[in-house]
Amino acid sequence: MSFFDLSTIPWYQWLILGVVPPLIFLLYFLKLRRVPLQVPSTFLWARTIEDMHVNSIWQRLRSNLLLMLQILAVLLLALSCLRPGCRSEKLAGDRFIFVIDQSASMSAEDLPSGKSRLEEAKSLVKETIDRMSGNDVAMLISFSDRAIVQQSYTTNRTLLKRKVDLIQQTERSSDISEALTAASGLANPGRTSDRESQIDMQVAEGREAVLQIYSDGGVKEVPRFSFGKLTAEYFPIGAFDPPANVGVTAFSLNDQLQSDGQIEVFTRLQNSGLDDTTVDVSLYVDDQLFDARADVDVPGLGSAGVNFDLSGLSGRIEQSIPIRLQIDSPDLYAQDNQAHCVLNPPRLSNVLIVSEQEKYLRLAAETDRAGKLAQVRFESPAFLNDSEYERQTTLGFFDLIIYDQCRPEAMPACNSVFWGVVPPDGNWKSVKRTEVTPVVDVNNAHPLMQAVQMTTVNVLASNLIEGPVGSVSLVDSIDGSVMMLAPRGGFLDLVIGFPLVEYDESGEASVNTDWPRKLGFPIFMQNLFVSLGGQSQFAQSFNRKPGQLLNFRSRLPYPEVDIASPDGKTETLQARADNSFVFSKTEKSGIYEVRPADSKEIDQLIAVNLLDRRESDLSVTEKMELGFVEIEGTRTRIPARREFWPWIVLLAIIVLMIEWLIYNRRILI
Amino acid sequence: MPETVKTPSSNELLPPALLAKLERMELVSRKIFRGRMKGERRSMRKGQSVEFADFRNYVPGDDLRFVDWNLYARLDKLFLKLFLEEEDLHFYTLIDVSDSMDFGTPTKLQYAKQLAAALGYIGLCRSDRIKIEPLDAVAAPAAPVLRGRGQVWRMVEYLNQLESSSNAPLVDSVKGFCSQNTGKGVVVLISDLMDKAGYEAALKYLVARNLDIYVIHVLSQEEIDPDVSGDLKLVDCEDNDFTEISVSQRLLDRYRKNLAAFIEQARDFCARRGIVYTMTSTERSVDRLVSRYLRQRGLVR
Repeated sequence: MSFFDLSTIPWYQWLILGVVPPLIFLLYFLKLRRVPLQVPSTFLWARTIEDMHVNSIWQRLRSNLLLMLQILAVLLLALSCLRPGCRSEKLAGDRFIFVIDQSASMSAEDLPSGKSRLEEAKSLVKETIDRMSGNDVAMLISFSDRAIVQQSYTTNRTLLKRKVDLIQQTERSSDISEALTAASGLANPGRTSDRESQIDMQVAEGREAVLQIYSDGGVKEVPRFSFGKLTAEYFPIGAFDPPANVGVTAFSLNDQLQSDGQIEVFTRLQNSGLDDTTVDVSLYVDDQLFDARADVDVPGLGSAGVNFDLSGLSGRIEQSIPIRLQIDSPDLYAQDNQAHCVLNPPRLSNVLIVSEQEKYLRLAAETDRAGKLAQVRFESPAFLNDSEYERQTTLGFFDLIIYDQCRPEAMPACNSVFWGVVPPDGNWKSVKRTEVTPVVDVNNAHPLMQAVQMTTVNVLASNLIEGPVGSVSLVDSIDGSVMMLAPRGGFLDLVIGFPLVEYDESGEASVNTDWPRKLGFPIFMQNLFVSLGGQSQFAQSFNRKPGQLLNFRSRLPYPEVDIASPDGKTETLQARADNSFVFSKTEKSGIYEVRPADSKEIDQLIAVNLLDRRESDLSVTEKMELGFVEIEGTRTRIPARREFWPWIVLLAIIVLMIEWLIYNRRILI
Repeated sequence: MPETVKTPSSNELLPPALLAKLERMELVSRKIFRGRMKGERRSMRKGQSVEFADFRNYVPGDDLRFVDWNLYARLDKLFLKLFLEEEDLHFYTLIDVSDSMDFGTPTKLQYAKQLAAALGYIGLCRSDRIKIEPLDAVAAPAAPVLRGRGQVWRMVEYLNQLESSSNAPLVDSVKGFCSQNTGKGVVVLISDLMDKAGYEAALKYLVARNLDIYVIHVLSQEEIDPDVSGDLKLVDCEDNDFTEISVSQRLLDRYRKNLAAFIEQARDFCARRGIVYTMTSTERSVDRLVSRYLRQRGLVR
């Protein structure tokens, strides 16, 4: 690209602009009709003029000084339209993909200029756009935990820059993989456009492109990604030294039911800076200052835990209370200085167990601990045909129904466990297996299987379970899953392949597994009551992250509810078929209030928090590992295009002012 | 009743107040001229009159009538009695009637007429021979020769009918005057001297005639201090020549400087040739000009 930028305005406008100076010239002479004045004699005047015409070229110029100044002003303005500027470097390549990180950590204001990282990234991208030549095309993608193609390939730099300006800060986490997929779309066209086709064929010629990533590097790992024809460049945004930032990375309430009314708040503070930092922390209950800790030491690159005792509230909780933790010491990244959760009044879950031979289940469900969690009702399979069952399941009376080797005609409007059978909705498949089924893998990370020891459990025979899309396998045998969890609208269905007791053809019952004798069984039952019986709402209320879909059910079935965001916006939601609601605009972290439509009474509170260690960590990675490639960050700032046009415009204005002065004062000829 | 035609009255040129002043004045010539008729002035020449002047020795050929016989009787020597001659003065007034004189308030021509009338009146009062000639290339009817107080009205009428008409070069007109009038005397040239061909040659003609020359340089206020602004095309009223100017302070300053130089040049030229030069603006009253400036210059007393 040259000193001038001809593409600032289209060619026909250049043409119009080019006509202006000659036009002024003509107009000037047309305009300057000297007024004839009869005088006794031009004798002396002629002499005077002659005197002054000693060097006539300058004299002529001087007599047309106003014209000259006008033309000069117009030429200067035309010159400024050329956008003169200079820079040292030419951009390599002709296709660019700008990927801008807009995740929460990009809001950190740790740059020397005082700008946020996102602002810096945006201005860098705009500078790069300025350096593109006329025929270069570029595409703009922004990403947080999802990617948005802000602008597909275009040569219009003004449009690109406008789109860059439109990129807004989010409070979401970072996941670049979607952005990479979008970016590689053109550089590496799909091998085949037909998903069903087995033949791998190139559908379009790949085009080489330069992928420029502007990020602080705190992104989720991208395990499998191939750049193909993309040339990746990474521009780390943020200060060299990680700034001291203390953020809340964990914020949780203990289980009231498990701890006899003792309510505790667990907080973890993380320091991403190198130096030890001391912060003050305040805890607000229902927006009133409840407790505070002064001078909490958080070691550099380490973390510290702070616990608050809320037992004083025990027994007085009648409705959901918002709890907010605030780090009072200001730092460069404000978003992680707050965390929210909701303290709900304790409530027993309503659990229905439908079983023929409920001995083991009853034993596990009637422990002291289980009694504090749930109110359990036992019924035989015949109850499924009862009208009371139908009424109660459709009204959502039960939180959880466990079907032990029996199944209803329709799925209930609550969470369910199917033990030894598959649900009747046709989405599940089970394969009969008669051999001994060794348990090989247990997903202990899942709340349902926490602290449940399965490796010592023997199972004689189990059906292999295959759930619908989105199912999570909790227990695997060598051939497949024997326990799977799948979402169903706002509910969860757990299907267990092996029954506790098996009946042969004569109806004789025989033990199928020794699981009920193990310690893990009552724990599993308690986990069921906690996770599926609705008790887990304590845990779930603060596990929502900004940008996630909120899928919730109101406590009482309402046709529509109003949900108020922390920024004060209210939206009315319509209930879906299963009495659940879906809310997508969770851009802000904070407490979302759900009310029945046109009512002031709060139905429930939902806390949305980022609580992301990666976002709170403000250190900028100098290398980015994407797929199998490691990309070195380019810290060197690209020499920006230096613009001269504002100075030229200023000069033109000064010239116009001089002209005005001369015209009015006639200080010169 | 017939419509009264506005006839130029003598009042315009010669207001009564001015007349009273002028009556006491007298035209003076610095040179000795032979008048054609006996006038009321004592000439520098000795001649025949009653006023005794001097004696001188008789030389053969002298008129015996002027021998002082009484003295011959006492001294036995012949002396001639000399008497002061009383004679008239030829007084010419040349008025530039070029178009350029028709400018100013009052116009330079009007001013010139008034001045000519004033001077003429002085002369008529003293029985001088007055001739007012427009400097006209066209062969105009010969200007009347006036003498005696009774001719005042004739002079005024004649002046009133003078109009700017000629764009002839000054030199041609003066040349014409010199060839037509051979007498000696006082000549007053009233002009703005704005002649592109130059006024010098014209004055030289007059000098060559050994006349007692007075130049009264009349300029209008518009010429002395032009009040113009903007981009102008100045058109010369005489030859339609034009000069384009964009008025600026610089230009005006330069103009004034040029004018001053022009006047200075004329004054110098005249001084070198024994011509009395007086520059006047049309703003200066004729009364004041005659009674002060011309008196200082010695044209009147």
